[in-house]
Amino acid sequence: MVKTNKQSENMYDLSTVLDFDALDSVRPGTSLLVAGPAMSGKEALAMDILKDGVGNGEGAVVVTTNDQASSVVDDFRTDVPEMDDSQLGVVDCRGDNSGGEAAQSGAYTHHVNSPGDLTGIGIGITKALEGLHKSGRDQGRLALVSLSTMLTYTDKKTVFKLCHILSSRLDSAGYVGVFTIDSGAHDDQTLQVIKQAFDGLIEFREEDGTRQARVMGLTSQPSEWKEL
Amino acid sequence: MSESDRPVVLIVEDEPDVAETYKLWLRNDYEVRMAHDGDEGLDLLDDSVDVVLLDRMMPGLSGDEVLERIRERDLGCRVSMVTAVEPDFDILEMGFDAYLSKPIRSEQLHETVENLLERSDYDTLLQEYYSLVEKQATLEASKSSAELEESDEYDELKEEIGELKSELSESLGGIGDDADFIATLRGLSNGEDE
Repeated sequence: MVKTNKQSENMYDLSTVLDFDALDSVRPGTSLLVAGPAMSGKEALAMDILKDGVGNGEGAVVVTTNDQASSVVDDFRTDVPEMDDSQLGVVDCRGDNSGGEAAQSGAYTHHVNSPGDLTGIGIGITKALEGLHKSGRDQGRLALVSLSTMLTYTDKKTVFKLCHILSSRLDSAGYVGVFTIDSGAHDDQTLQVIKQAFDGLIEFREEDGTRQARVMGLTSQPSEWKEL
Repeated sequence: MSESDRPVVLIVEDEPDVAETYKLWLRNDYEVRMAHDGDEGLDLLDDSVDVVLLDRMMPGLSGDEVLERIRERDLGCRVSMVTAVEPDFDILEMGFDAYLSKPIRSEQLHETVENLLERSDYDTLLQEYYSLVEKQATLEASKSSAELEESDEYDELKEEIGELKSELSESLGGIGDDADFIATLRGLSNGEDE
């Protein structure tokens, strides 16, 4: 069991992945929404936040509606070569089980029939957390990619409630959560409602051909837009 | 008719002595209905039932089959399996909200029923919370920030949202328990059209 000697105990430092002061000491149990247009790097950011944690010896849970579990595992193995398979759990909600997936050694994977099967997703997350806990990973990060896909399977009310319940569960577990949403795919009211289920927001935009980001909700004032 | 305000517990159990014992323990706090097999249980089941205690091994319809029909009917009730064998994690995957293994003590029975009722309360709170958040989002979309600043309605709404949020975080121990977590998610799928 590796107990990392972080500067302030138990806080999560996400600023090594995205350089904002508001992210350098994130309280366990915090859930963040990552919003931005398509192809703005939201999902890469979410994965980088998890990989960074894995590099620190933490656990990681990826709930994906887009990618095959095996490709998520491969991706983590490539980017974090020192990863132990017991550090990662993947809940694959694509509902496509026929893909002839190669047998996984070690990393926990769980398949759910559809992104609309919330109970199945819950069971997958529970088992993944249980496995991480058993292997002594008491700190960890969870990513859900993406809420936009879930919103095509179920309504905003259900997604809001799901986010709220998941945030509560992560809070009890002392985990940090990052959830991505494509801000161009939904109306303002939907985005506004979904935001309310989270403690903070990382927002991406494209401005004059550059990618910019800002962080809201974790500090009393939103951060300035910053070029990436 | 003060009876009708009390939560309704339906006991589906083929052994009369066992069923009577449960009833004796529960009748001071709940309205108790009894069914002696799965078919009778399904007949007695309606929207007013909050918690079902369902024996797994019964002649005729098994507990699993009864559960399946309950879920098909999309009733909002919570179902605890009552079993002689200690089950593993699969009971949650099977769609049960909780389980009790025989022999059951009075205290255990009360705790389980209370926990299942608390989950229903959580669902109700979460629905209320959502309605207010949606209202807030609508206001924010339709008014300027200057208008919002002057709006008493908006202030009150924000305050109410804050109160509900903390009430939710205290309910069910903040979803610290796996069974609470999964059952709450299941409640979302079941109650979608409410």
